[in-house]
Amino acid sequence: MSEVTRSAQATGAAAVAQVARARRTLPNGWWGMLLLVAAEGTLFGTLIASYFYLRFQAATWPPAGIAAPDVTLPLVLTAVLVVTAAPMIAAARAARAGRRTAAVWLLVLATLVQGGYLAAQVVLFMSDLSSLDPRDSAYGSVYFALLGAHHAHVAVGIALDLGLIARLAGGLTNYRVIGVTALALYWSFVSAAAIAVVLTQISPAL
Amino acid sequence: MSAVATPEAARRVERLDRIWAERPGLVGWLTTTDHKRIGLMYLFAALAFFLAGGVEALLVRTQLAAPAQHVLSPSAYNQIFTTHGVTMIFLFVIPISTGAFGNYLLPLMIGARDMAFPRMNALSFWIFLASGLFIYTGLALGHGPDAGWFSYVPLASKQYSPDSGIDFYALGLIFNSIASTASAVNFIVTIFRLRAPGMSLNRMPLFCYAFLAVSFALVFALPALTLALVFLELDRQLGFHFYDVAAGGDPRLWQHLFWIFGHPEVYVIILPAFGIATSIIPTFTRRKMVAFPFVAIAEILVVFIGFGVWVHHMFAVGLSTATTIAFAAASLIIVIPSAIQLFAWITTILTGTPEFKTPLLWIIGFIVFFIVGGLTGIMFAAIPFDQQVTDSYFVVAHFHFVIFGAAVFPILGGLYYWFPKVTGRMYDERWGKASFWVTFAGTLATFFPMHILGLLGMPRRTYTYHDGLGWGGLNLLQTLGSYLLAVGLLMVAVNLAVSLRRGPRVGNDPWGGDTLEWATSSPPPPYNYAVIPKVSSAYAMWDREDRAEDARRLDRGELVLEGGHETPASTVLDAEWDEVLRMPPSSWAPLALAASLAAVFVMLLVGHPVTAAAFVALCAIVLLRWHSIEPEAA
Repeated sequence: MSEVTRSAQATGAAAVAQVARARRTLPNGWWGMLLLVAAEGTLFGTLIASYFYLRFQAATWPPAGIAAPDVTLPLVLTAVLVVTAAPMIAAARAARAGRRTAAVWLLVLATLVQGGYLAAQVVLFMSDLSSLDPRDSAYGSVYFALLGAHHAHVAVGIALDLGLIARLAGGLTNYRVIGVTALALYWSFVSAAAIAVVLTQISPAL
Repeated sequence: MSAVATPEAARRVERLDRIWAERPGLVGWLTTTDHKRIGLMYLFAALAFFLAGGVEALLVRTQLAAPAQHVLSPSAYNQIFTTHGVTMIFLFVIPISTGAFGNYLLPLMIGARDMAFPRMNALSFWIFLASGLFIYTGLALGHGPDAGWFSYVPLASKQYSPDSGIDFYALGLIFNSIASTASAVNFIVTIFRLRAPGMSLNRMPLFCYAFLAVSFALVFALPALTLALVFLELDRQLGFHFYDVAAGGDPRLWQHLFWIFGHPEVYVIILPAFGIATSIIPTFTRRKMVAFPFVAIAEILVVFIGFGVWVHHMFAVGLSTATTIAFAAASLIIVIPSAIQLFAWITTILTGTPEFKTPLLWIIGFIVFFIVGGLTGIMFAAIPFDQQVTDSYFVVAHFHFVIFGAAVFPILGGLYYWFPKVTGRMYDERWGKASFWVTFAGTLATFFPMHILGLLGMPRRTYTYHDGLGWGGLNLLQTLGSYLLAVGLLMVAVNLAVSLRRGPRVGNDPWGGDTLEWATSSPPPPYNYAVIPKVSSAYAMWDREDRAEDARRLDRGELVLEGGHETPASTVLDAEWDEVLRMPPSSWAPLALAASLAAVFVMLLVGHPVTAAAFVALCAIVLLRWHSIEPEAA
């Protein structure tokens, strides 16, 4: 029994790192997040499929009188969001190695950028709403549903960031390390989904 | 393990009893994270919904017993048959098979002490219960959904269904799918990580393969339903145009999304039944399942192919020939993995020494009905035939044979089979057999004439029919059959209820069962196993030497894990012992989170988005509280 670690032992940073090192598979929390992400990925997949389904039924897309979407700004914003996956993954590594301070600051950095991204996207969303009404056409409906779903996932991620930062401030435990690992996976998924969403969003202008 | 021989072993068991003791009384049930208690709550809640759905079915049958009757008004009829469908699928069959049977038995079968995420497990149950009550609130207020269980647009759009019934349906099912997704994720991680050391994937019981397949089907199918329902609510409540042709939308989008979910859902309904069949057959035929690896692969394959056949629900819509033919071909291919399993069950029974006790009788009934329902299923793959019988009673006959005959019969057989495990007592065998024959006859009389009526042209969902059509006799036969069916089910209920108090006490393993749940006491203690069982084959209970070794290990204190709420975790494929996990204690958080989420959905229903957002914030606060109690610290 001695060669197998017990999660209950992982009370301090060193013990946490030792438990994380000894584990041969990924922890349950990571598997749970992977499956959640699989479900959410399917949601985005079906949403994007619905977008193109409606598009291929339409004679003109976007409908006459509606301007094609802007290309540059959404792409730049997406690049910024995708980059934040790096500090998230680094934070997970730091946490597994027992380096709590590094993990917290990397999380704070990622959260700040993600928060800025969401703020910019919300402003864009509102300005889109003033020029394009989702109640006028199926194009508007699916456009805002797609972006709304994406922004909601970013907002949930930021809420998870904040909750985890607050918990990590109180010390490093096995539970929180697994939390950071799972959260990094979540943000990798949101980044990948962001790329798919933005390409769909700008597709009429390409 | 039954013989607690030495004082050391007795002391260890006592210690485990103390560590795993649940809170007493009602509080214990409301805060429980024990998979067995959650399974029992699922069981009773699902049975309550079964009763409601059954009463609805009897009302429908009474209305149709003779031409031009007025038992129900047309509007009430629509609400009743729609709620019947929604109830039986979302609130009875899936919760009882995954929620009750899966929750109670799966951790026992893999030698674990709980599910991977015990609190999320409790959350799934409370959300399921709240979503069921949510949908039924609509019906109780006279605003039941009334557009059929697949609520096609434009009928379900605001224009043609201005009443809130469809909103109860859409929001209720979105709410419900959160519960199903959470429990599916929980099953997969539990199967991947919590198998007893030594139970590599090839030694996992077929029951668990079925639940693994079902869980994957739920994870990948439910998002399509959720999306379709979100689109519907956006159309209905905010005036969006996903399904409105006039503004560039397309009602076929609903049909595609619904059936992308809906067909895998069929396998979600039937596969747990397959899993129960593969548990009962080896026990009562005294032999291992024929073609074990093929059956395991077929269980997975059926789900995989099940994602590629949804258009056979839409053959009458007028899609292109190329599309329909491709899906017709896929619908024929899916027969192969189903047939592999069917032949394996039959061969196992024929080559074994079957003992026709009540549980096996239900499985044989299941096989008969699955063959009938399966054959009519194959007929739908023939496009011209399908177009002829679409929306007729022939379809109703088909899916009642597969859902009631093939999915519910093993559930009833399973209730008998595991009754002694859950209660420690035996049911009455003679009444058990009688209940089977009455239910079997009732099922045949209720559903078989539907084939003929369908071919004669009787449309489904019709509230009544004219005298001159000559459908009265067969309809009366069906109605009488449905009463007989109800009597059969009542006999099952009475038998089990009486046996709960009066049944003779039987030991841990009255059947000589093949899987691990029979190793522990009946009912099992909160920690399931005093010593984590040793596993060297898929028929762990038939490896007598391993079970004797378990008792010796309890004496030695090996793999007892008496340091707290602990269970071992293993590697995913080979199940090598990887770590010891501390499991969370009982908690109010799951119930509180489900209640807050219910408030969100109620506010969305009544159209108060700001209040709904406030309750979302409350959910976040509850989640913070949830995660502030870490299992390791508790």
